[in-house]
Amino acid sequence: MDSLERERRELNTMLRRPGERPDSSVRIDRRTFIHKSILCGTAAGAASFGWFPLLNTLDVAYGAETFKFAWISDNHLYPKDVNTRFVEKAVRAVEEVQAMTPPADFLIHGGDIAQLGDPVEIALGSDILKEAKIRKVFIPGEHDWYLDMGATWRKHFGDPNWTFDHKGVRFIGLDTVSRAPDYWSARKMSPKERMGAMATLDGSIGGPWAGVGSDQLQWLNHTLSSWPKDRPVIVFSHNPLYEYYPPWNFWVRDWREVQEILRPYTNVTNVHGHTHQVLYNEIGKMRSIGMLATSWPWPYAPEGVPDLTKCMVRADPGDYFDGMGWARLTVTAAERVQNEYMMFGRKPQNVFGEALADSGCADNVNQELHPRIADRGWYSKD
Amino acid sequence: MTRRVLVIVGICVAVLLGVTVGTHRALAHKERHTPEQLKIFDEVFLEQVRIGDLLFHGDGETEKKMGVSLSKTGMACAMCHPFASDTHPYEFPKFQEQIEKFGTLRDMINWCIEKPQEGVRIDADSDAMKALEAYVYWANRGSRLDPGRH
Repeated sequence: MDSLERERRELNTMLRRPGERPDSSVRIDRRTFIHKSILCGTAAGAASFGWFPLLNTLDVAYGAETFKFAWISDNHLYPKDVNTRFVEKAVRAVEEVQAMTPPADFLIHGGDIAQLGDPVEIALGSDILKEAKIRKVFIPGEHDWYLDMGATWRKHFGDPNWTFDHKGVRFIGLDTVSRAPDYWSARKMSPKERMGAMATLDGSIGGPWAGVGSDQLQWLNHTLSSWPKDRPVIVFSHNPLYEYYPPWNFWVRDWREVQEILRPYTNVTNVHGHTHQVLYNEIGKMRSIGMLATSWPWPYAPEGVPDLTKCMVRADPGDYFDGMGWARLTVTAAERVQNEYMMFGRKPQNVFGEALADSGCADNVNQELHPRIADRGWYSKD
Repeated sequence: MTRRVLVIVGICVAVLLGVTVGTHRALAHKERHTPEQLKIFDEVFLEQVRIGDLLFHGDGETEKKMGVSLSKTGMACAMCHPFASDTHPYEFPKFQEQIEKFGTLRDMINWCIEKPQEGVRIDADSDAMKALEAYVYWANRGSRLDPGRH
């Protein structure tokens, strides 16, 4: 059995587990099929056609009428006089959302509007977002939070978790960032040092900071208890709600508990930021989609990239718009949700890497990575 | 014995002495290393890795100490390259599209300093460059050497 055949069988086993899939059939288009075949290094037969999920088109039942919403996140704004490029890209995303025709019903901002939680950065982001005149909802990222423990963010954007129903869909915003175990008190860190440690993706000082927390899990359970099990739920979170790569906190530490609560619901879509890359996964009955950043792209983690993900192109570091963008999501009356990655300067067909050398995953076949040592005890003042 | 013969003999003795001394030096490092020596070699290397890691992660104090200014945008190398991923040190030297020439890892480090980070390029043989290189290689140790690969 060759590797492609093994992969097909694994996917089939995973995707067709009885009772453990989103209840609508996953659709395939030709482009997705061809892409996957190329990455596997061989042409696949028509028999396997139905085994590969389509990233961009997802099914959601009970869409009462067609509507769109937009996602922007991970702007990582510094004060204007430090970095104008990040400002340019955030402005461009907001202008493009505002230009949507017909307009989006609302804009969800998925966190990390600021880089170091500075009130100047958060105010700058808030001003930029004001240019989008549609309804806006917000969840926080860790970069927004750990300078003043969310005080400024709350002042601008309100509660970090919330729920509302819209045209037949229950939307839930989760706060996955504010419940980090205290890593700063014993080290006698200043607020800036606390924020600096949190802002280092590959640092070890913050530990497994991403989590939903028992109190919010109870809230989630209660929030969903009044909702029919077969009706669509869309959950927004800054971090992925599954275990992708914990060393970079590409997860929430209590994702298993989250999945236990979501398990009875057959139509759950999670949309998340934080990873700055195209991602798609299915865990139990939940689909999960990773969003683009407007600031910079993270490389794919050295391990744990979901098999169901079609990797995005390698971004050109010489073009600071490349690999960046936002997302336009459409919930249709025909019981479907479409997610379109709006990557700056690229046509939709060029979002995903096709040739091995252009794929953000496939070009790292020779790579072996090791965690840092320099930050161990870096802040120790004992 | 003529004076000329004495000079030639003198030169030969000097050459032989030189060879002997040189041979002794050449053999010196071929003796077995002691655990203490290996520990020192390791410490020298890891010290550079630690310095390089700090520079790579935008540590202002280390930059100041070394007299370099790697970024003016707030960005640090690690923001796009956590764990020095996607730096591909094992693929250099190679033709590098961004700089439009056959280049080394040091060339690309300087390109990143100047372009995305808008910092001031550093001397290719400077202590800061060697430290950055030490960290990038260390973080990618065990990767498969594949020079020229794009």
